[in-house]
Amino acid sequence: MTQPILQHLCQVIYDSQVGTAIRESDYAFSIIESVHVLAITLLVGTISLLDLRMLGVVLREVPVTRLSRAVFPLTWAGFGVMVSSGLLLFWAEAAKNYVNPAFRVKLILLLLVGLNPLIFHTSVYRRVSEWELEHRSPWRARAAAIASLTLWSCVVIAGRAIAYF
Amino acid sequence: MQVSRWAFAVVEMVHLLSLAALGGSVLLIDLRLLGVILKGESAKNIGHDLGRVLLVSLTILILSGIGLLSEEAMKCYFSPAFRWKMALLASSILFYFTLHRRALNRAGTDTPPELAQRAVAVVSMLLWLGVGVAGRAIGLI
Repeated sequence: MTQPILQHLCQVIYDSQVGTAIRESDYAFSIIESVHVLAITLLVGTISLLDLRMLGVVLREVPVTRLSRAVFPLTWAGFGVMVSSGLLLFWAEAAKNYVNPAFRVKLILLLLVGLNPLIFHTSVYRRVSEWELEHRSPWRARAAAIASLTLWSCVVIAGRAIAYF
Repeated sequence: MQVSRWAFAVVEMVHLLSLAALGGSVLLIDLRLLGVILKGESAKNIGHDLGRVLLVSLTILILSGIGLLSEEAMKCYFSPAFRWKMALLASSILFYFTLHRRALNRAGTDTPPELAQRAVAVVSMLLWLGVGVAGRAIGLI
């Protein structure tokens, strides 16, 4: 065994029955991939509108918490669809993904994009009642919004790039 | 653009990112019209405000779409998925500026939406979804 353990693991996933079935089926991979692509709207599309609200671009009159209550269920639903369809795609392509530079970059970006709301919700969002009516949110919230817009865009770009390597 | 694989990829990525913005704004506008979210806000205001995001992203989608088309125009001409997409896109845009706009303008803040408004919201979401599905299918069939 000269392979690194992670690469070996990816090969095992790749060779598994389910992975092989998705890969070799006429339609499965394309259908899962299409769901994965269209669910971008549900995940990235909804959260970016909350980001634009905090930046003061849209819906300035709507309190931030009211919009976030409307948006979060959609974003989380999108997240669920993305993770499950993404895992199925990975199942079918694990061994190829392991050596794919775009895939590696995407994983790192996903880690960062997850870290952003963690910091946001434990810091400036705790005092959201003090600023939720402001047309433009405080700079720390705006920074989180810009980070979210940038990182999610990069995730989409890296995701698309996987197919090009 | 036929010479550069990466030029095509970049335009495709722009197309995808605008798709996210378009889809997000369509979802919020129509779910409000349906009476599911943001019930305290007027559907007209939400529709007007997020309509700007919708139109900006639609413009970028069309421009980047023309870029993509220029590389594979012949393939698209014969693609049933592409023909479906164009028909659905034309219907979506027409619907958005006519019946959808009227439904938004008539929607009250305090009263639950009428059946006709709910129907408009559902049709709108289905039309835009159809554009997306047909668009995805261009690359597959």
